[in-house]
Amino acid sequence: MKIALNIVREEWRYWMRSKLAVSVLFISVILSCASVVVTVFNIQTATHERTHLQEKAHDTFLSQPDRHPHRMVHYGHYLFRTPSPLAALDPGVDAYTGTSIFLEGHRQNSAMFSQQQQSAGLTRFVSLTPAFVIQAFAPLLLILIGYSVMTREKESRTLDNLLVQGLNPLTLLTAKVIALFLAGVLVLLPLMLGSLLTFFWGESLSMILSFWLAYLLYIGIWCLLIALVSCFVKQGNTSFGLSIGLWITLCILLPRISSSTAGAMVEAQGKLLSDFAVIQQMRKLGDGHNAADPAFEQLKKNVLAQYDADNIEELPINFRGVVAKHSEAQLTDVLNKFAEERMQSEVNQATVARLFGWLSPVVAIRTVSHTLAGSGLETHHRFLREAEKTRFNFVQSLNDVHAEKLTYSDDVNRNSSEEAGRRARVSSDNWQVLQDFSFSPDAPAQRFNKSIASFVQLMGWFLALFLTCLSAGRKLI
Amino acid sequence: MNPLFSGLKREMHFACQQKALLGLWLAAFMLSSFAVLTGLAEVSHQQRTISELLMADKDERESVLAEQSDFGLAAYYTFHLTYAPPSSLAFAALGERDTYPWKHRIRMLALEGQIYETDTPNPELAQAGRVDYAFVLSFLVPLIIILLLYDIQASERKANRFDLLIATATQPEQLWLLRILVRVLTLYLCLLIPFWIATSVAGTALSSVLMTSLISLLYMAFWTALCAWIMRKDHEPPRLASTLMGIWLLLCAIIPVGGHLLIKQGVDGPNGGDVVLLQREAVNDAWDIPQQKTMDDFVTTHPEWKNHVEMKSLFEWKWYYAMQQVGDMKAGTLSNDYHEAIKQRDKLASLVSLISPPMLVQRQLTRLAETDVKAALSYEQKVRHYHTELRHFYYPLLFEGQAFHVETLNNLPQFASN
Repeated sequence: MKIALNIVREEWRYWMRSKLAVSVLFISVILSCASVVVTVFNIQTATHERTHLQEKAHDTFLSQPDRHPHRMVHYGHYLFRTPSPLAALDPGVDAYTGTSIFLEGHRQNSAMFSQQQQSAGLTRFVSLTPAFVIQAFAPLLLILIGYSVMTREKESRTLDNLLVQGLNPLTLLTAKVIALFLAGVLVLLPLMLGSLLTFFWGESLSMILSFWLAYLLYIGIWCLLIALVSCFVKQGNTSFGLSIGLWITLCILLPRISSSTAGAMVEAQGKLLSDFAVIQQMRKLGDGHNAADPAFEQLKKNVLAQYDADNIEELPINFRGVVAKHSEAQLTDVLNKFAEERMQSEVNQATVARLFGWLSPVVAIRTVSHTLAGSGLETHHRFLREAEKTRFNFVQSLNDVHAEKLTYSDDVNRNSSEEAGRRARVSSDNWQVLQDFSFSPDAPAQRFNKSIASFVQLMGWFLALFLTCLSAGRKLI
Repeated sequence: MNPLFSGLKREMHFACQQKALLGLWLAAFMLSSFAVLTGLAEVSHQQRTISELLMADKDERESVLAEQSDFGLAAYYTFHLTYAPPSSLAFAALGERDTYPWKHRIRMLALEGQIYETDTPNPELAQAGRVDYAFVLSFLVPLIIILLLYDIQASERKANRFDLLIATATQPEQLWLLRILVRVLTLYLCLLIPFWIATSVAGTALSSVLMTSLISLLYMAFWTALCAWIMRKDHEPPRLASTLMGIWLLLCAIIPVGGHLLIKQGVDGPNGGDVVLLQREAVNDAWDIPQQKTMDDFVTTHPEWKNHVEMKSLFEWKWYYAMQQVGDMKAGTLSNDYHEAIKQRDKLASLVSLISPPMLVQRQLTRLAETDVKAALSYEQKVRHYHTELRHFYYPLLFEGQAFHVETLNNLPQFASN
């Protein structure tokens, strides 16, 4: 144990004397700190901005004057997706999805204004988020300072001396891995501290700890991998080339290959195209604006029978409002069916892409990270579903107002004179039907469950490399 | 035999005995092939989508128009497909087509409420990014060149052949030059052969092919020169390579990201959401203000209709569409600022790319392939133009109160994609 600590200390002393190692460590720590500061600041600003916009949209809706209730259905409402606390460290898909969505009757709009549109393409390859810095650049740092952990001893013929003196080769290898791991932790530290901060913004401690665990595992994987390469080859030069090759393949290529493959294998129909199928189905349902549409004949019979009336003028409720509500419900079923299909195909694509986690630990950590952080694809889908719920609720509440607070005769005669137009309005008190909306990601337990599949991939990598290290350590003799 | 040729042949012969070199070349060839193949697949998916949309759009419009009985309703219910087809080079640089819209179905309502809808593809895939030729060239090729060259001299020193080589070569400089040339030119061919084959499949214009090949050559020459310059120092090869990787990190990552942050702070455009909100308020308020007010606003920009604006009933379609036009006008300044900010950012990004060759290559290729921000904005401009044509088509019918004939709608303006 004492020997191992000595080796760790010696390794660090060697690095501290090497100009290259010191500058690489220095740059990495700066980069890591900068990414945390910048991203935390950006996401906090975005959170405040979107919360503010949400309140503003809510107030604007409530402050609308007396109107015909159906006008408010078309007036609509805006929702904004606020990022989860941990998104400050891994913003995930936040920049690639629209952040606001317009809700109105009869339609499901897609989210608009993704931030990526504002970046002028400079962040195509690299983004300065803590997650990306650790996932992609921390391994490079570890390679640059650690490629020679074992080859150096071989090339300077000190390895044999050490072993002859009775040093257990496994102890040597373990100590080298630990030395490297400490360097990794140093770079990881800003992210770990930053994530502690999210505790005060409402993130649960269990999520933060799982987040730490995932990243520590990831750093561990790379330390083992680098030490192993250094163990298996004779020359530092070769171990350098080989490690860099591995880094390019695992960190840069495979994540992109995974998404190119998923995109080519699973075809996802765009919204525009599936909208045509929606329109075809909707035409069968009838136009909810037109209460005389033959599609509502059956509804009319039922309502008349229910209220024991002979014609719609006799009804105690406004039949036009009843039709609007009825057709909105039917239409929403159709819209939801297609929206679910679209989301399912996105999930299918993501599933294919995530399978690459068995080939590259970067793919695995990426999935774990944004699933835990609540900034992944599933969270965006959750936002879309909640937005749809909100849309349906306020539209139907307004349709209730339409049916109950406005008489049929006032409604049909609304365009006959200015006075009649005024009669066909309801009080703005009715706009209170709008519920407050604030978006939050899944509960911690659910997020953790969703990340298990990729956690298993990380564990698999770690165990496989760990076992190889054990056997490699023995073979050194 | 020409000494240069025989030298090249000799170096090639040596190179072919080194497994690491062969491996790198093979990897480059496979990568380039993968990039162009998935690029071609993506482009053909986009083309298929467009042709399916075109068919569905036509059928849909015909069946909608057949049911209409007045021009106002016809304009309300008919959507028109607009799209920007991928260029024949788009497979090599997929560019911004996953962030900016390249297809819309629009109708004669206020355009500001329609034009920001983005049919975004899977965000998780977009975030990971795709492998296209432009990415392989600008981001990965420098790393491959570094790996190909970093131990070119040191390996000879290690094998104790260095002094012998220098002593026996007539011109030592030429020896290293030849060795570098063989390694980099073979890499060039490994990258470009899949690309050239793909261009013949995609039917790319010769000028684009030549330009791309030239850009690739110059860019690789830049990195080769940089490597040669760094390597003139007699350091341990991993140290040389680390320095080169540092430069790579600076040019590919730190400068672009730094530039992005500066641009974000420096260019303050309106929030896109505000444009849409303003337009919505304008259109909705029109229901609560005197109709004459809306008509007056409308006439300021469309004086040709000033004798046709009196209303015979409380609801007329000409008022409804005038209100939509006024809504667009009210949001016009803000929308203009929004687009100016995008252009400004793009312009600044082009300045940043002057000190970051990888970004410069990326921008040049996406410009050639018409997949950059400029192309996205010019598509949007086309959509605006088409929307104006639609208005010009319907206004006489609505304001002059022409009798409805379905045949009149046969003359509806058609969107021209190029």
